[in-house]
Amino acid sequence: MSKIIAVHSYKGGTGKTLLSVNLATTLAKQGKKVCLFDLDFRAPSLFAILNLSNSECWLNDYLNGTCDINKVLIDMSSKVPGSCKFFVGFANPATEAIRDMSAKDRKWEMRALGRLLSLRNSLLNDNGFDYIVFDTSPGLQYSSINAIVTADFVIVATTSDRSDVDGTRRMLRELYNLFEKKTGLVINKVLDAASISKRQEMDKRIREVYQVPMLGVVPCFCDVLRAEGGLIFVRDKPDHPFTKILDEMARKIDRNEIS
Amino acid sequence: MNKEEPLGKKPLSVLEKIRDNLERLNEKMEVMIELQKHGRKDAMQPLADTPLDVMTLLSMPDHLRKTAMTICRCGRATAEEISEQTTRARAVESAYLNQLVIMGYLKKQRKGRKAYFYADRETQG
Repeated sequence: MSKIIAVHSYKGGTGKTLLSVNLATTLAKQGKKVCLFDLDFRAPSLFAILNLSNSECWLNDYLNGTCDINKVLIDMSSKVPGSCKFFVGFANPATEAIRDMSAKDRKWEMRALGRLLSLRNSLLNDNGFDYIVFDTSPGLQYSSINAIVTADFVIVATTSDRSDVDGTRRMLRELYNLFEKKTGLVINKVLDAASISKRQEMDKRIREVYQVPMLGVVPCFCDVLRAEGGLIFVRDKPDHPFTKILDEMARKIDRNEIS
Repeated sequence: MNKEEPLGKKPLSVLEKIRDNLERLNEKMEVMIELQKHGRKDAMQPLADTPLDVMTLLSMPDHLRKTAMTICRCGRATAEEISEQTTRARAVESAYLNQLVIMGYLKKQRKGRKAYFYADRETQG
């Protein structure tokens, strides 16, 4: 089944972009036609991670109504092993573009929502994409809430940080519940993830605090930190435990096994 | 003079007009009933075109948010089509949609006997 997935979090630095890029790549490796969008207009980062030098059209232009979505998409299939179909829509990293996107009014945001919603027809239905993955900005930004409303499934990335736990809990209750969104939680940067007692404590906390299904637990891997954003782990380290965790997440999403 | 003339086109068009007016009256009644149920008399005040953005969706009461979100996804739909997605009765959706029109969030366009509702994203603003 074709799906739109948004990766979101309450706070910054929870690993949204890492999860988005690696999940999109994993789905592409599994034979799906995937499109990854950078919706973090305040701090675009996909262009740096995927080494894009320049683009004729940015996602900003599509949302401004000045460019067709097909001109925004860049074929990055060669970056993924095998005969994959992997496309990316980048946010413009120029300071002027970031400033411009920060100053949009409610009416522009309403039109942007309409354009995001129309991707379901233009990409999933007409162009045969299996998955669209939105990498969003943290917190209650317009662009992020637009992405959440558009998505079929939202992955919420969180950490054990106390302020993140509290903010994520409120966000799930006061935002996600109102939109009746299907949600999966990913706890990232977990220390002592192999410990059974730690696992049990975490499961209990997730049931009590968040009250949403768990998609995965990602331990704090030194290798990920050492890579400094220069690797796409699921592509460059196929045998790494991080890759196995992402494989499992992608499989759960594809089989609709999140409960 | 043909005896059958009183049953010709003119009376038929009158009957159709009466039926259409009754349907419109019925829609207005449905809106009034729903407004009474939810105690939102202030919502009867027609507003200028108001953007149906996500913050507006968040501030809506639950029953209207469901309808508004469905119309956002569909783009343009009848009350019947919305009710198929929300699994609520057509008459209920018709009332909510008309309420959203009165509040200035949606536009309504009649095509024959069908009424289509949509968020006018291009002209708002």
